[in-house]
Amino acid sequence: MDDHGAEVAADFREALQDLTTNARFEIVTLTNIARENANHGLAISEVLTNHIKEAPASKTLPALYVLDSIVKNVPTPYALYFGPKLYQIFMGSYTKVDSATRKKMDEMLKTWKEPVAGSISTKPVFPLEQVRPIENALLAARNAYMSQQNNFQSQQHLMRGRPAGPPARDTPTPPMGRAYQPPPHGQPPYQGPPNGQYPQHGDMGPGQQPYPMRSGNTPNGIPNRATPPQPAPSAGPYAHYQQPPSQSPYGAPPPGINIDKLKDDIQQLIELDRVDFAQNMHDASKQNRLKALLDLQKVVQSQDLPQAQLVIINDQVAKLAVNMRAQSQPSSSPSYPPLPYSTHTPIPPVVSQQFPPPAAAAPVLPQLPAVLAAALGRPASNVAPVAVAAPPPPRPATTGAAAPGTLSLDSILGQGALATLLAAKKPATPQQAPTPVIPPPTAVPPALAALRSPQQQSTPFQPPRAPAQQQQQQQQPPAPAAAAANPLTQNPSALLAMLRQSGLLKGTAPSVIVPTPPPAIIPSFPPPDPNIITLTPSSLKSYRPHLLPFLYDALGPPCSQCGRRFPTTEEGKKKKTVHMDWHFRVHQRVAEAELRGQHRSQFVSELDWIQSHEEPDVDYSAPSGGVEGGGGGIVRMVMSGGVLVVLVVVVVGGGREKVGEGGTETEEEVYYCAG
Amino acid sequence: MSIPGLGQLVAQQSTAPSTRTITLHPFSEWRFQISPTSSATCRLLTGTAERDGTELAQNKTYTLTRCRSKIISLTGATLEITGEFESETVKHHPHPADSPLVAYLNLHFLLQARRTQSSSSQSGSGHGPRVMICGPGAVGKTSLAKMLIGWATRQGEQPVLATVDPRDGMLALPGTLSAAVFATVMDVEDPEGGVGVSCTPSNGPSAVPVKLPVGYYFGRERVEDDGRLWRDLVGRLGSSVRAKTGGDSGVRRGGVVVDTPAVQFRKGEVKGLMHVIREFAVNIIVVLGSPDLEAELRRRNHKTPHGEPIEIVNLDKSDGVVEQDRQFLLSTRKALIKDYFFGDSKRALSPSVQSFSFDDVVIFRAVDGPDLDDPTQVLERAEISEEMSHWTLAVMDASVNDPLETIRQAPVIGWVCVSDVDKGRRRLKILSPVSGRLTRPMVWGRWPEPYVNLLG
Repeated sequence: MDDHGAEVAADFREALQDLTTNARFEIVTLTNIARENANHGLAISEVLTNHIKEAPASKTLPALYVLDSIVKNVPTPYALYFGPKLYQIFMGSYTKVDSATRKKMDEMLKTWKEPVAGSISTKPVFPLEQVRPIENALLAARNAYMSQQNNFQSQQHLMRGRPAGPPARDTPTPPMGRAYQPPPHGQPPYQGPPNGQYPQHGDMGPGQQPYPMRSGNTPNGIPNRATPPQPAPSAGPYAHYQQPPSQSPYGAPPPGINIDKLKDDIQQLIELDRVDFAQNMHDASKQNRLKALLDLQKVVQSQDLPQAQLVIINDQVAKLAVNMRAQSQPSSSPSYPPLPYSTHTPIPPVVSQQFPPPAAAAPVLPQLPAVLAAALGRPASNVAPVAVAAPPPPRPATTGAAAPGTLSLDSILGQGALATLLAAKKPATPQQAPTPVIPPPTAVPPALAALRSPQQQSTPFQPPRAPAQQQQQQQQPPAPAAAAANPLTQNPSALLAMLRQSGLLKGTAPSVIVPTPPPAIIPSFPPPDPNIITLTPSSLKSYRPHLLPFLYDALGPPCSQCGRRFPTTEEGKKKKTVHMDWHFRVHQRVAEAELRGQHRSQFVSELDWIQSHEEPDVDYSAPSGGVEGGGGGIVRMVMSGGVLVVLVVVVVGGGREKVGEGGTETEEEVYYCAG
Repeated sequence: MSIPGLGQLVAQQSTAPSTRTITLHPFSEWRFQISPTSSATCRLLTGTAERDGTELAQNKTYTLTRCRSKIISLTGATLEITGEFESETVKHHPHPADSPLVAYLNLHFLLQARRTQSSSSQSGSGHGPRVMICGPGAVGKTSLAKMLIGWATRQGEQPVLATVDPRDGMLALPGTLSAAVFATVMDVEDPEGGVGVSCTPSNGPSAVPVKLPVGYYFGRERVEDDGRLWRDLVGRLGSSVRAKTGGDSGVRRGGVVVDTPAVQFRKGEVKGLMHVIREFAVNIIVVLGSPDLEAELRRRNHKTPHGEPIEIVNLDKSDGVVEQDRQFLLSTRKALIKDYFFGDSKRALSPSVQSFSFDDVVIFRAVDGPDLDDPTQVLERAEISEEMSHWTLAVMDASVNDPLETIRQAPVIGWVCVSDVDKGRRRLKILSPVSGRLTRPMVWGRWPEPYVNLLG
């Protein structure tokens, strides 16, 4: 264990040394590492203490932020470890940094005297007796400064003039709580966009996400300015934390998946597959795979999937990427002009660590078609004559990491989810433009970096489905296979039908013993004949197993989160989509809510109760017109998707924070029921 | 490269010691008792299983604590369970048809057919069935009520569950008569099977949809302790539910299931049930395990206000219902009160503790042995004393200046707990879910008993 502690400490030290800016992502990562290794807390605290002591002035503030974040999020044991040394740490740093940094340190210090914002605990971050000596020393020092630096005043003034951050950001580190969601893995830290929740400092590197400290920009050298903006290639060191998507860093599913990145990845796979397909047009398995990918893409693009599913999709995509790369190399044919797939981009070393080298991956080849063929229609299914069952080869251990057993669309999307997901297809929603956030080359996850073909890099990711089809049709002599497949690609419901026939869309309930009801009544659920059962003991006691499916399979497959069933009708699928969205949002909100104080709401008045209305499948927490109109008044009485009672719209006092610059986040406090 | 060892740490603590798998045949039950201090988990591996009519999701780990309950499977299932149980057994029947569940399930399908009937044909009133479940104690009334609600909800109905048993505290603290519409899944992990007070709204999100109750504070344990108030409150609850079903077609179709206090078949009790039947316009009476009660109710059979005949059926009581001992009930009540203020394991709440002057709060108490001739003298201003410490008081949705009768029958909007009374300084410390002034009248009931350790 000691060895292990030393190891952790050494790695932590290394990571700290790479920390040159107050990038939130890295600070969060380091905090998480500290949290995970709390049993080596002493070692980690020592490393951090030494680092702060020795670091050059420019690196001191970020390191202090790490300390701050760790202490606020993992108070036990770190507050104990750092507490006694606090004076030395703080004053040592204070003397070596410039005045702007000091200002920030002052702010940080202030938060140490208070309980962590949003926490239930009323204890300050550090005991007052540990903070007070610092304050006293600072007071003395500040007096000296005030007299010394005239412009300090004006600076302060300048800062005060800036809009203060939102109140909840009073602490340098927002407390993360248990369910804190670190930024998506595989996303480099400076790649802020979708979750760029914090105002960016103008002087940060492009897109850099600063560690959220409430303070303004200061004109004279602050550390994060002193650090030159990260040139793209220098992102190398951050790759330390960049787990390949298929691996979660902490042994648990990564809590956050960047959907944009995922879309991007899928897109790339599709591009690649398309090229592949163009060369092997008669290979039905390839076509099927392409099809599956396109469907997956649609699904991912058209709706918010729960994180859990995203994680799975992400994993699968990552695996596909590896396999594809291996596959595409041998199969790239000279007939298709510029296709030096993997030769173009150097493969980052991570790839070789995590995935089998191309040679090793080669045996995987036949497996994909097999899998997808299986997913898209079993060979027996007459709807899909194109489906080819490839021999199931032994799976290399590396690819089986996350999904033991077979890999199918079902396993990608969660059982039964596909139906729902497909239901939400918007008519040919094309690619979400070249994804607003195209990562710079270095940001491409290792596995995919290798996939990039020059073609993609030069053209934006325009070709959505339809062009793809055209492409197929143009280049393709009317091959019977393609002809047979076309209805599928054109008509999503055909695919759906196929899936249904292949048994994929059936409920998960094995319903082993229960005789299945006649198929005719499955799609809808007509009531059992009311006259069958009468309200007499004898009638009620007779065993009618044939009615059971009305509570099970006839209701459709259950939601994987709560067991609620949704029929496979169009309407049912819509409802399920909304329902899954709801799960997803609630999941997020629960995490967020842990940071705030929560309290039991008062019950509503009699009249309100009578007038309230349950709408389990409507999510009023999604921003919609009209809800906000009340500006603090009562707008609606609805028990919505159950997220929370959408009863009284209360605009939480002026200080509600805007999350995200684009206003993409719902300001959900608005919808919480009045306290 | 990454920090090594992170994955290993997690892996070390993965498996709990006592994991085992149990197999349920169709229509069998897994009964378990878990003490308030321990917890256990349950995961559905294959098949289907449900608790109180709410299906478990497959492969989801449910954490259970502080309950005496059962998980049933109608189609067969395997469950993986871990943790510490006071007891747990699997109850199999030689043949599925022998299970009392068969009758319950048939009852559900019958109700479902009535619902469809009511809203489809021209002859239908649009009113779904109003079911009252009654019988002696420990026959599984509440359990059946929850199952019927759960099954109906699964089929997309929005039925009302109402309880007029003050002991239960459905979505409310014990001592309250309450009702709520159930349109969403119930919380399988809730010790009360989805009707505990922790399933009511807070200002934060909830992973399982919360339910919105309306409740009237009775503040007594037994109906006969204040029969008049109980009847009044049943009337209030009934009229609220009727108003609700009248105004919301979905709820109207879903109907009502009323859970009632245990009756020992005494005259007054049957009268009480008749009152419930009237107030809720009950048209189906399910008697559990008491042919005598059935006969008596049949004898008094009347028609509903809508002119429908009232149907009565007597069903076997659910076997395996445990007689809840006093100690367990007491600890349940305490836990409920605690959940109300502090939340449960899934949702930690931060109540506020505030100090008020005696003059800032208005606390009423029911008059002992009220003078029946003077209906205005039903409540009196309670004298604030140390005796009040640790009692939970109901906050009424009324104004302090309202007539006493109004206050007495007002719906409750919440509870506070008196944590300390300082008579010398004339101040009292009050634990309240929400901070703020206490401008509403509060009622000091006589039950449930004070919970000493709420803040300690």
